[in-house]
Amino acid sequence: MKSRALRRVAFVAATASTAALVLAGCAGGGGDSSSGDSNEKVTLTVTTFGTMGFDKLYTQYEKEHPNVTIKATNIDTGDNALTDWQTKQAAGSGLPDVQAVEEGWLSKVMQVSSSFVDLRDYGADKIKDRWVPWKLKQATDKDGRIIGYGTDIGPEGLCYNSKLFAAAGLPTDRAAVAEYFGGANATWDKFFEIGKQYHDKTGKAWYDQSGFVWNSMVNQLPEGYYTSDGKLNVKDNADLKARWALLAQGAADGLSSNQTQWDWGKGKAFTDGSFATFVCPGWMLGVVKGQVEAGGGSSATGWDFADVFPGGAANWGGSFLTVPTTSQHKKQAAALAQWLTDQKSQVAAFQAAGTFPSTTAAQADPGVTGPSDLTKFFNDAPLGEILAKRAVGVVAQYKGPDDSVIQSQVFGPAVKSIDGGKANGQQAWDQAMKLLDQLVVNK
Amino acid sequence: MTSMLERSSGRRQDAAPPGAGRAGLTFRQRLSRWDVRYSPYAYVAPFFLLFGLVGLFPLGYTFVVSLNNWNLLTGPGEWVGFKNYAVELADPLFWNSVFNTFSIFLLSAIPQLIAAIVIAAVLDQNLRAKTFWRISVILPYVVTPVAVTLIFSSMFNEKYGLINNLLESFHLPGVLWKTDVLPSHLAIATMVNWRWTGYNALILLAAMQAVPKELHESAAIDGAGAVRRFFSITVPGIRPTIIFVIITATIGGLQIFTEPKLFDAASATPGGAQRQYQTTVLYLWDLAFNRESFGKASAVAWILFLIIVVIGLLNFLLSRSIAGAETRVSRRRTRRRLATIGAPSPATGAAIAAAPEETHR
Repeated sequence: MKSRALRRVAFVAATASTAALVLAGCAGGGGDSSSGDSNEKVTLTVTTFGTMGFDKLYTQYEKEHPNVTIKATNIDTGDNALTDWQTKQAAGSGLPDVQAVEEGWLSKVMQVSSSFVDLRDYGADKIKDRWVPWKLKQATDKDGRIIGYGTDIGPEGLCYNSKLFAAAGLPTDRAAVAEYFGGANATWDKFFEIGKQYHDKTGKAWYDQSGFVWNSMVNQLPEGYYTSDGKLNVKDNADLKARWALLAQGAADGLSSNQTQWDWGKGKAFTDGSFATFVCPGWMLGVVKGQVEAGGGSSATGWDFADVFPGGAANWGGSFLTVPTTSQHKKQAAALAQWLTDQKSQVAAFQAAGTFPSTTAAQADPGVTGPSDLTKFFNDAPLGEILAKRAVGVVAQYKGPDDSVIQSQVFGPAVKSIDGGKANGQQAWDQAMKLLDQLVVNK
Repeated sequence: MTSMLERSSGRRQDAAPPGAGRAGLTFRQRLSRWDVRYSPYAYVAPFFLLFGLVGLFPLGYTFVVSLNNWNLLTGPGEWVGFKNYAVELADPLFWNSVFNTFSIFLLSAIPQLIAAIVIAAVLDQNLRAKTFWRISVILPYVVTPVAVTLIFSSMFNEKYGLINNLLESFHLPGVLWKTDVLPSHLAIATMVNWRWTGYNALILLAAMQAVPKELHESAAIDGAGAVRRFFSITVPGIRPTIIFVIITATIGGLQIFTEPKLFDAASATPGGAQRQYQTTVLYLWDLAFNRESFGKASAVAWILFLIIVVIGLLNFLLSRSIAGAETRVSRRRTRRRLATIGAPSPATGAAIAAAPEETHR
């Protein structure tokens, strides 16, 4: 059926491209746009994803640099942004001047790190002490080239709905909640135990779906799907298995609301009491706010943020700004990337989207520790302070080349199975191991 | 294309002889001879150039890629011959995608064609505001598939979707439209049908209007009802068009991509977490762009291409034999009729008598 449409498109394309060929022939000999003049008018393209909080910063940058026009594209999820980047990387064209890269697919980026500009050529050495050391280390390839400027990190805290907590007789004050979950010694066992109490009392689910919980459980381990020296380590990984058993039991107990990731009924699930807790890395706070508002809710819906996380400190995600070598304006692009990741910008991005700064100066900035629209939404929770505490003890886990495939395609289906009640923990684990063989081991 | 070429070349030979024998041609004459001889090729050349560029070359290049262990990011790997084909043909995930493709294709094509024929038959009646109805039928085709999918995807949402809400208001259990195999195939087939039924209906309507009205009238006089006429006159009359629609529907049906891709847009595994509605095109896309195995994806593309060629050939043979049967039948009929009017009837006699008069004028 599409062939008919295609044929029609092909005809139009044929006509158009014939015309284009002719025109291109005439227009040949146009100037190279990358001359050195710093006042020359340039258009920089930027590709980001999720909620990175850059929108207002672009306008500001354009105001401060009248010769620069920024054309920004924001892709809805990190997974889709990965597809976008890979496609363009493979095609060798279409990449923007500044490309945001997520920690989860950094390992893929490192396979082709030479196709990114070494930012040391544009002054990275001078500013490299801005970042927390492990963030800088992540962005450095094996030849010591710095290919990305860190934007945010994702220290995880616990989002909870205080109204639902109140209805179930749980503490509602965020300090009391943190204490109730075990404070500094919070464990996943405790998390599921409280969840079971909540479910027994209200009949409602405890968290939105198992995928994000699993993400957090894996991400906070010193070693995830790979050992630190890069060996695949899933099948006989006792840590993973133990956590999987907990998760599967939780789902079997009805603690998972089995929502669709990144959809949540267009935000309704955040407002109708479907679930009471949500794992929240810094950048997720902006997502929660957006979802609640899309679902017709507001700060009155009752979402709050507690300084506690089961299993201890955890980091999920965080991004980098890179400059692909295909950029025609490398110098200007590097300057923009540097500007977008400096203290002032990181503070602004945090206030707009809750992306927690990766530079030490910004982490201590009153703009991060103080109130903002986002803190207002979360019942005046001191988000910056909490996240700074949640970031203590985070270790960057080694991500292997197939990390994102394992996370999404090997464990994704298994998570769906336990959430949908289609399989018990062992069956789902076996299913995942089968997929691991098919997709990763024997690829 | 070929038939046009033959026709034009035939005409060219007819046109050539007058100038061909003579030796001393002027430049203008030669130019016009070249014009006649070569310009048809120039006229068709753009199509073939572009087809070569965007059709043939990619096809060949895909084949080369499929013989390599080609990584999306790091580029060509070692030459592995037909290993990628062997691996894919032994991969249950590949066969799962083939099953899904055919299941969705059958669920969409069959109801779609039946509905299209019925709609075309209704539109073929004497309706008021004919154009309005015809445009209404084609309207879904105008909407981009992405928009269609987003709307349907929201309607088929398991927890908050319109359809499950309706079902629940009648105290019926909600259907897991995105989790279970058959419901998800039905949902995707619905999108495809919504988009393509009207388009096919219009093509069939055009064919129906070419069926001679006299046949209908004489059948009606012989006492055939509307239904009888539909099955005995209309359907046989539009058979070649039905076959055309089936062929194009098959090719399109085997290449479904947008609908399953966007049905659950945020799903990390395209085509549903358990690949329950992952079609072959989606599978190859996933192989190339998520799993970075460009070589295997190219092999799958070629396997799919061959499957479509085989099905296309089957369709072609079928349609040719049917068309052949029809011409044989009609030739026999003509012969029979000619035999019965062997002696000139009064009417023909009158016509012959009238002819000379005409030349007088």
